[in-house]
Amino acid sequence: MSSVKQSLIWDVETRQLLLPKLGHEPSECEDAVAVDIQNCRFAVADGATEAFDSRNWAQRLAQHWVANESASTLDEFREWVAAEGRELRDSWNGLSLSWYSEEKARTGSFAALVGVELDLKVDAPEWKAIALGDACLLHCRRGTLLKSLPLCRSESFNSAPVLVASDCSMHEASMKSVVIDSGSCESGDVLLLLSDGVASWCLERFEKDELEPSDFLGTKDGDELKRFFDDERLAGRMRNDDVAVIRIEIKRRVS
Amino acid sequence: MYSAQITRANPTCIVLLIDQSGSMSDPFSGDSARKKSDFVAEAVNHTLHDLVIRCTKTEEVRNYYHVAVVGYGRNVGTCFSGELGARYLVPISEVADYPLQVKSTYKRVSDGAGGWVEIPVRYPVWIHPMSDGKTPMCEALAKVKEVLERWLLEHPRGFPPTVLHLTDGESSDGDPNEIGQQIMSMGTDDGAVLLFNCHISSRRSAKIEYPTDERALADGFARSLFHISSRLPSNFLSAAAQLGVNAMEGSRGFVFNGDPSSIVQFYEIGTSLTGMTPYRWMDDASRSEMA
Repeated sequence: MSSVKQSLIWDVETRQLLLPKLGHEPSECEDAVAVDIQNCRFAVADGATEAFDSRNWAQRLAQHWVANESASTLDEFREWVAAEGRELRDSWNGLSLSWYSEEKARTGSFAALVGVELDLKVDAPEWKAIALGDACLLHCRRGTLLKSLPLCRSESFNSAPVLVASDCSMHEASMKSVVIDSGSCESGDVLLLLSDGVASWCLERFEKDELEPSDFLGTKDGDELKRFFDDERLAGRMRNDDVAVIRIEIKRRVS
Repeated sequence: MYSAQITRANPTCIVLLIDQSGSMSDPFSGDSARKKSDFVAEAVNHTLHDLVIRCTKTEEVRNYYHVAVVGYGRNVGTCFSGELGARYLVPISEVADYPLQVKSTYKRVSDGAGGWVEIPVRYPVWIHPMSDGKTPMCEALAKVKEVLERWLLEHPRGFPPTVLHLTDGESSDGDPNEIGQQIMSMGTDDGAVLLFNCHISSRRSAKIEYPTDERALADGFARSLFHISSRLPSNFLSAAAQLGVNAMEGSRGFVFNGDPSSIVQFYEIGTSLTGMTPYRWMDDASRSEMA
């Protein structure tokens, strides 16, 4: 799926990909992508497999973050997550739950989130990002990796990252791990928003200089990408995890 | 090895083997109010609860694990009863749906503002304490071997089975070494069956946890259990480290003269499997009280 925004100076082209784990149905995918091309806001979220209602939580975080322009500072983000968490919990009211679902619901839901807002300034577009967990933003320029956040090495991914919790009693500790950053772009730069499995895979490719993932993700069509990632996961070169990718390419318009 | 992803198509198997001999009705040393059998039954129920919760996806329990609880004392057999009947290995979703009873109690949780609140929780029970008869450890291990043989035929490629054996005394039907070695020689493409042993004691003796060699073990029975205890794979070592347990490369899944906190950690480490954060069913304050 792709979309394009054109300003007076800049073209922004986005592509997105969402794949469930191998052997799983698309309805079981706990990753989520959201794009608001007009406002240049993008988000990837990755619901924690072990959490309650994590698919809904990831979708809610991604979709509502791109729709909510006032969740970019730490205070705003904390307030916004708390409100989203309350709404999620309210959606469980009235459900008749088994003992195990009730127990699971009590600890709430968890997801990684990375959100990026792009400001198409005349001289140089600027991005601002907010991230918590292990969903990542990679800023690529001419085949090199300029920046990766919140994690920057493939070996940094483990199974217990600090995530966005729906239960605000956990926010005092978890919000300390929020990463907020910004950067500026040149024509031809690519921003990649990735869930953890594919982020780890991409960073490893950069580290080993094996291929240039930012170009690669831009040249294959959706079916080819699906086949490629299926093969990578089947061969064990990539963890069998859900895959969420948003590729954002910024180009100066040719007049 | 020990890296296969645990999925519904490729589940793993966990066997909790528990000593239910007469001596299990004795208390732990220094705790005359608490029978070992009571504490072990509680720990097993919590462990089953933990495994169910890990596999719960909103309103569905996914069958990542097949679980057996085998007891030995007057008899050797499955500890499951009620709707689970006389079955040995049961998919975790059925374990979830068929506890013997679900008790209601209260749990203290953080209120998010520096204080605590008590909230109602439901607490399932699958097994009740039992302590009667001798310690037919060899017969019990033979039963575990039989159960695993059938399971391995159907699941040759997954994460290998884990057997968590808990006992308070010496075998009354011979040396368990041979049957233990037979169990440890079985396995899947991903590794040999993991057999971990936790010996608990009523005596005030120094406990030995996850040793790397047998030199610290004074008696023959301890060395016998050491020899049929698998080395902890690296992902289990990570779980041990997260719990603050002193285990290292080469450590065996073996505890001797353990106390209640040893049992809790033994089950937490033994069911950590894929490197998941160990589920802490007992808060730190309670651990301190027990230690």
